[in-house]
Order: sequence, then C-alpha cells, then structure tokens
Amino acid sequence: MKNLISVANPIDNQLIKTRRLFTKITEHGDRPWNFLLISVSLLVIALIIGVVFLLWRDSALARTGLGWDFLKPISNASWNPVTGKMQAWPFIYGTLITSLIAIIIALPVSIGISIFLAELCPNWLRVPLGWMIELLAAIPSVVYGIWGIFVFLPQIITPLGNFLWITLGKIPVFQILFMGPIPQSGMSRLAAGIILSIMIIPTIAAVSRDVFLAIPKAQREASYALGSTQWETIWRVLIPYASSGILGASILGLGRALGETMAVTMVIGNSLEASSSLLRPGYSMASIIVNQFQDTVSSLHSNALIEIALILFFITLILNLVARLMVWQASKKFQKG
Amino acid sequence: MLKKLLNVVFVVLAGGLILSACQPAATPAPAAFTQAPTMEATLAPGSVQLVAQGATFPLPVYDVWTKSFQFVDPSVNITYAGTGSGAGKKAIVDGTVDFAGSDSVLKDEYSQVADLQMLPTLAGAVVPIFNLQSSEKDKDGKAITISELVLDRQTLADIFQAKITNWNDPAIAKLNPTAKLPEVGITVIHRADSSGTTEIFTNALASFSADWKDKVGAGSTVEWPVDKNGNGLGAKGNPGVSVAVQNTTNSIGYVELSYAVANKLAYAKLVNKVGKIVTANAASIQADMSDFANAFDAKLNAKIVDGGSEGSWPITGYTYLIVRMESMKDCLKARKTVEYIKWTLTDARATKIANDLGYASLPKSVYDLVMAKLNNLTCNGAVVSK
Amino acid sequence: MTSFRNSSSEINLLNSQPLRKRRIFINQIMLVITGIMVLLALIPLIWIIIYVFIKGRLAINWNFFTQLPTILGQAGGGILHAIQGTLILLLISTLIAIPIGVLTALYVTRHPNTLLGIATRFGTDVLSGIPSIIIGIFCYAVIVKPQGHFSALAGGIALAILMLPIIIRTTEEMVKLVPTDLREASLALGAPEWKTAITVVLPAAVNGIITGFMLGIARASGETAPLLFTALGNEGFNLTQIVQNGIAQKQNLFTIVGRIINSPVDSLPLTLFKYTSMPYPEQITLAWGVALVLLVIILFLNISAKVFILVREAKIKGK
Repeated sequence: MKNLISVANPIDNQLIKTRRLFTKITEHGDRPWNFLLISVSLLVIALIIGVVFLLWRDSALARTGLGWDFLKPISNASWNPVTGKMQAWPFIYGTLITSLIAIIIALPVSIGISIFLAELCPNWLRVPLGWMIELLAAIPSVVYGIWGIFVFLPQIITPLGNFLWITLGKIPVFQILFMGPIPQSGMSRLAAGIILSIMIIPTIAAVSRDVFLAIPKAQREASYALGSTQWETIWRVLIPYASSGILGASILGLGRALGETMAVTMVIGNSLEASSSLLRPGYSMASIIVNQFQDTVSSLHSNALIEIALILFFITLILNLVARLMVWQASKKFQKG
Repeated sequence: MLKKLLNVVFVVLAGGLILSACQPAATPAPAAFTQAPTMEATLAPGSVQLVAQGATFPLPVYDVWTKSFQFVDPSVNITYAGTGSGAGKKAIVDGTVDFAGSDSVLKDEYSQVADLQMLPTLAGAVVPIFNLQSSEKDKDGKAITISELVLDRQTLADIFQAKITNWNDPAIAKLNPTAKLPEVGITVIHRADSSGTTEIFTNALASFSADWKDKVGAGSTVEWPVDKNGNGLGAKGNPGVSVAVQNTTNSIGYVELSYAVANKLAYAKLVNKVGKIVTANAASIQADMSDFANAFDAKLNAKIVDGGSEGSWPITGYTYLIVRMESMKDCLKARKTVEYIKWTLTDARATKIANDLGYASLPKSVYDLVMAKLNNLTCNGAVVSK
Repeated sequence: MTSFRNSSSEINLLNSQPLRKRRIFINQIMLVITGIMVLLALIPLIWIIIYVFIKGRLAINWNFFTQLPTILGQAGGGILHAIQGTLILLLISTLIAIPIGVLTALYVTRHPNTLLGIATRFGTDVLSGIPSIIIGIFCYAVIVKPQGHFSALAGGIALAILMLPIIIRTTEEMVKLVPTDLREASLALGAPEWKTAITVVLPAAVNGIITGFMLGIARASGETAPLLFTALGNEGFNLTQIVQNGIAQKQNLFTIVGRIINSPVDSLPLTLFKYTSMPYPEQITLAWGVALVLLVIILFLNISAKVFILVREAKIKGK
C-alpha cells in the first residue's frame, strides 16, 4: 500500500503524510477527552459531596452543643441566639404544615388538570394549555411574593382567614389549626400554604399528565368496551393504574414546596409566636436561614442555622429520591402493559 | 431559522450590555454637590470601590452620604447595604466589607478580630410609631385615625412586655384623656433581625422598667414577651417595621425618627424621666446627649438612654461605623475609607444632610476622639491619612 | 347459556334508565370539575401577569432602564445596576454551566452503565432537588468567605450550580435522540471519539442544548436566595466607570473583567426583594417595574424554549 502511494503524485504524497501525522497526534486525543469527561462528571459528584460535607462540618457546634433537644416538638420552643437556647421546632413545624396545606390543595387540582389535559382536552388546546400551566412554574418566587403581599393576601387571604376564624375557629376540635384572628396583612401559614400550592401545581400536573398519556391505550379501550363512561374509566381504571406515578409527582411537588424560600419568607409573617394555627404568622426553615444567616451573633447561632439547612437538605433529598423511584416504577409497569 | 433568531437575541443583549457600559450612567447629583469636585490626578473616576453594610438606623443618612461622596471625590464609589447591625458586625469580622455600620456595640467580636474600632458618627432618636383608629367614627362611618399619643416610660415598657394588652387600658387612657381609645388588642411589631435599633430601644426599656430589665433584658435581639402571647410580629430592618406598622391597624412599633417622618407615620410623645412630655426632635436629642457628656468609654461606646434633663428624649442612641484599625488589606481602600469618614464629620454639607433628616452630630469632645482614632489607622504598618 | 342470560340481565340492570342517567350525570359533572380545576390554576397566572403589568407600567420609562438608583425616598433614578448585574451574573453562570453540563451529559450518555455514569445521573437528580438557599450557603462558605468579599463571581457560580442539572438533563435527552448510525458512521470513517462528539453528535443535539440553556437561564434569572449570600447587591455598581477607567488606564482586558466579576452586584430579583420591604412609595413603584421586566424576560425565555421544542418535534415527525 505504502509503495503504491509513494509512486503516485508527490503532492498527494505530502497531503497524505500530513494527514497521517494529524491523525497520529489526535488519535490519542481520546485519552485527554475521556479524562476531561470523567473529571467533569466527578466534579458534579464532588459538588454534592462538598455540600453535604460543608453542611455537616459547619453545623457541628450546634449538633453537639444543642443535641436532640434542638428538634424536639414542644409547644413553647425558644429561639434565643443571645443566650444560646435554640430550638428549631417552630421552623420545622412551619415548613411541614405549609407544605402539607400546599399538597392537600394542589393534589386534587393537579390531578384534575392532568386528567383534563390528557383525556378531555381537544387536541388543538392541549399544547397551549399545557404551556400556560407550566408558565406558573416559571414565575419567579419573588414575583409571587410581591403579588402575594400587595394583592393576594389583602384581597383573598385576609377575608378567608376571618371567615375561617369565625366558623371553624369557634369549634374546639379545629381550634388547634384555626385559632386566633388572622393578622390584617394576611401574613400567615395559610397564606404561605396557598401560594405554595399555586407554585407546585405545575410540577405535579405536568408529571401526572405525562403518566396518564403513557398508559397503554388497551386499558382505556377495555374499559369502554365494558360500557363505562369516560369518568368511570378515569376514576376506576386510569387513576389506580397511574397511582404510583401520581404519588411520585406529588412527592416531587412536596419536595419543591419544602425548599421554597422567597415567596414563603415574604408572606409567612416571620413570627416566633407559639401557636400552631394556620391563621397566625409563623416561620419556615428556609425563612429563618434567609433572615438570620447574615446576622448571626455567635458561632453557635450560625451553626444552628446550618443544622437547620442540613435537616432541610436531608428531607428534600429523601423525598426527591422516593419520588423518582415511584415515577420510575410506574413507567416500568406501563412498559409491561 | 430559529438559531438565527437566537443569534440575533444574543447580539442584541451583548450589544445592550456593551452599550450600557459606554454611556455615562450617573446617579442624579444632589443639589448641594454641583460644584466641581477635586480628585487626585493619579486615580480614575470610580476606581476605588468601597463596600459597606450594616445598620438601618442611620441608613437614610448613609444612603445620601455614600451616594454623594462621588461628587466630592469621584475616584471613590461607595455602596452601603442596609442589612442590619448584626449583619454589619458579622461582615466586618468576616472581612467581607471595608467598613460596617452598627448601633449595637461589639462584645465577643474583639476576641475574633482584635483591631476592630467603633467610631460614633451620629446620634439619633428611636420613636414608638403607632397605627391607631379611634373607637368613634366620623359622620360617614369611617374610622378616625388617632394621630397623637402620649405614653410614659413604664407604660411603654409594659406594652412591649405584654403586660398591657389593650389599647384602652387605663394606663394609656390616663395619659390620653381626650382620645377615644378603641377596645382592641395591641399588635406589637419588633425587629426580626439582629438590630442596633433594638439595642438602643431595649436599653431604654431596661432603664424605664426594672421588671423589663430583669425578665427580658437589653440587646440586639431579645425574646419578645409579646411573641408568646401571639400579639407580636417580626419585621426586617427599620424599613420593615415601618411597613408593618403602616399596614397593620392598632399596632405599635419602634423605628428611628427619620423613618417615621419620611413616611408620615404617627409617633408617640413620651413622658421623660423628670416628668416632662417631650417629642423627638433635634433639640430633645441634643438635650439627652448633653446629659451624658462623659459617657464614652475606652472603646468609644456610650449608652445615652433616659437622660435626666427637662427636654431630653429618653430613647436616644449613637450609631457607629466599625473599621479595622490595622488589618485592612488594601491600603488605597483604607486611605479612602478614612477620607470618607473624615468628610462625613467635617464637611458642612454632610452635617446639614444629617441634621435635616433628624440626626444630631457629635459633640466636639467626641469628634476630637474620633478624628484622633482615624489619624491613627494604619495599613501594612503605615499610617494612611496624610 | 344460563350465565349468558344472567349477565344480560345484569347488563340490563346497569343500563336501566335511572342508573344510566345518574352515571351520565356524574360523568358530566366530573368532567366539568376538571375543567374548573384548570381554570382555578390559570386564574393566578392571569391575575399575576395582569396586575404586574398594570402596576409595573407606571415605573417604566427611559430613566428606569438607563439610570442608577437615586437617594432613598426620592423619585427618579433607575435600575440600570440591576439589569447590568443580572446580565453579568447570567454570563458568568452560562460560561460555567454549559461546558460542564454538556460534557457531563456526553459522558453519561456514552457510558450509562458504568459506576460513574450511574452515580452522575443520580447526582444530577440530587442536585436538582437541593433548595437554592443551601447552594447559597455553600458558595458563601467556599467562595465569599475565603476571598473576603462578595462578588459577581460567587453569585455566578451559585447560579451555575442551579442551572447545571437542567442543562445536563436536556442535553442528555437530546444526545440520546441522535441516531447511533450517525456516530458509528463517523467512527467508521476514522474520526476519534472526541471529534465525533464535537463535530457530529453535538451539532445534531444543539437545538436541545439551546432549549436547556434557555430554561436554565429562565430559572437562574429568577433566583434570589443564593444571591443574598454571594452577590450581596450593589446600588453603586457603575459598569461604565469600570470599563472607562480600564481603557483610560490602559489596563488589559483581564484586569477590567476581573474588576467587574469581583465586585458585588445587584440582580433584578434581588432588587425586587429589597425594594418590596421598603416603606417609601417610590421604591415600591420601582419594585413593580422590576417585577414587570423580570416577568417579561422569563415568560419570553420559557415560551421561546417551548416553541423551539415544538418546532424540533415537528421536524422529527416530518422526517
């Protein structure tokens, strides 16, 4: 081969030599390339390890100094950074209860939306409507906050809160959740919960819609063949079939609600009041960190805030993983038919 | 086709960024600063960027001062963020700012950074602001706002300690016989963040009421008794408390005087230590300051609440700038910091700005002490000021 | 025969007029309810957009976009610093997130079953779920504190970390869609892996990468919490001065860029957050203006990304 080539035109010869040289140099380009790819992937993993390590290290003082008392669910918890007596239960409670309200409101609405988009919507409307729902997720948290403070809270939440106080708040059973008049500004756990629900509806609805669309047609056809109405098909066949996927979607939404910072901080009232009521202002884990992180009066204080961040991290991590597991399980089930 | 569209968008954005960098984008010049500034020949405009953060107590003044200084020395561009005294103290300890503002005194911070120095700059008044509607309605049925209120020292402390919970409490009614106080609960608004304003206010309350001093104490953050009762709300910064009181009827809060004036919030008169009813203004602040002529300790801190003369406003305090006396890393910035602080103390325009906003300037003796400290600020071993 | 007769009678029962009517009625009601749910979700969207537009419109004028903030409580001034800050932060975060994201996605799609591949995919999932404030704390401890100052660089890195999962995921999906024949043909022609990836696979996937980039930017431009601890905010940020000084003093490009990325900067959402808590009405008006600008930018980015996807899918189906 080589002899044949050298016999040919000398200019071609030169070109071939150059090309061979080039190939020789760059064929080993695969090694640095793979090295680059591997190191970049490692960077992603290192980042997560770094975050966990940092949260763990910088909360050490609080974990050892404050112990398990830090997390105890007691009703008159103190948060006094000056004396060093700090208990995080009010914040944990605030985060949990607002996220719970968000899920309770968002779940039925999202399922309704996803059913509409997947089953009932005329084809021409499906994409634009889906976009509009997804736009809800795109609105920045602070815009929800400013709209909440000046519009939503005074016009909707305050009247709603007053109504609940007059009705449910007078019934002893409900007083634990509906006690006390709502502040005039409307800042309360209820406000945070409702705004959170608006923010997570797109997440749950989008995933649920995809789950519904993935259900094999055979299931629907079988149900119709047996004479079911459309709703009966949805209620008795599709929803149970998609249940693990929907559950996964809800947990994803829950995860988002737990970590939501700005909108909650702006409407929850940031109060350390010892009340469990939805109508009263409260605090959330993310809010206390935002409000006090730049302001810490001692190492114990900053460590305590980072311990709260650590707890938040682990809760969202576990929920996120559980959710993805469920959605993945659901998709496997559909593949089996 | 869409890729082309995206390219167009990028070009427009990049072009916009570059274009915005090419045009002079000036902060509008305040009225007093239209004369030509002097500047060192070796420095270009805005080449020294000073970053500061801290107390919101002096923020209305510091905001004007920092934005005006570029018209005095164009080479310096200062930004002051009102993040609260606690954040200011933390930032100067962490070394993330060139100087900090705080009305709350340093304590343990000296053990972390030994060369921190507090420099008093101004004195100001903390006033109790309120939003109150009387129990009687006008002829259209709308509620009448109460615009004047007198409180005394013990009553104020009791309100914040949740001992007095209703507006028509006898103690308040006694001081305000003509006001038709409503029979509603008092919503107490306090600071949620670590605050020098809180420190000044709680120092005053501790002086007003032995019970407050005993059970709650004074400091930049305290555990507010009203929170336990469900009548307390926390807000961030002096601005936050102002907004909260504005938006909550039948509430009371505490802010620095200029916030109340600028936002036309009603603020209460107090019965001071010698029994005279005083309102917060430049004169009553000065009267209180002169009650404590020799109150400055070695660290240049002074507590001046609850003065004993007739015209004293009881809730007065100094606000400070915190600098590092030796450990600033950038010596040009150190020099410019010193020049800026000196300017705020010496230039008549700066003093006028502060006084117009309701703050009092330092008495001569304190002024001399501060200038002496500034003259001793060193960087890399050498004194920075000329 | 018997069972047939029974089931037919059952069916007759199920189709008996009253029960049938009831079932049809329930069907109608529930379908209407799902429609109501959709409206319920759309109401806040439309409400927010309209309200922000109405209130923000008052603040929009030429000064708004071209001037730096004026003194507290005075009318006038603008948010130029926030716009410039946002653009700078987005530039920094894009320059960091896109190379890292694309390269990671390339690795993960090429070696999906290795330990590193699985771990990286898992890691991306974890990263996407971390609340943004924790990323802010991380960047404060790792960048701001050691450096000794708040900076646009720290803010940009925080935003890059938040953008990374989006870019990795969208790039991964797009690269998976590139037919393997294409890759194999390139390799058969003697191109090394890296060349194949850069000149064959990526161009085929570039639309998806752009989509991911736009979605990532949309997310990053709306973030506030991590910037509170990294970029801090800077009302006096004067890009013009920095650039003009640099040119006047004959500094090289690196010095000028270095000065820019090392100063604290403001961003649109950060400014919005700050101004919302101010008692001065002028600031509140400015805040609504910022909300309007932010909303327009983000809606534009999101809708464009979706249009991109739609066109791309239509092209694929068309093929």
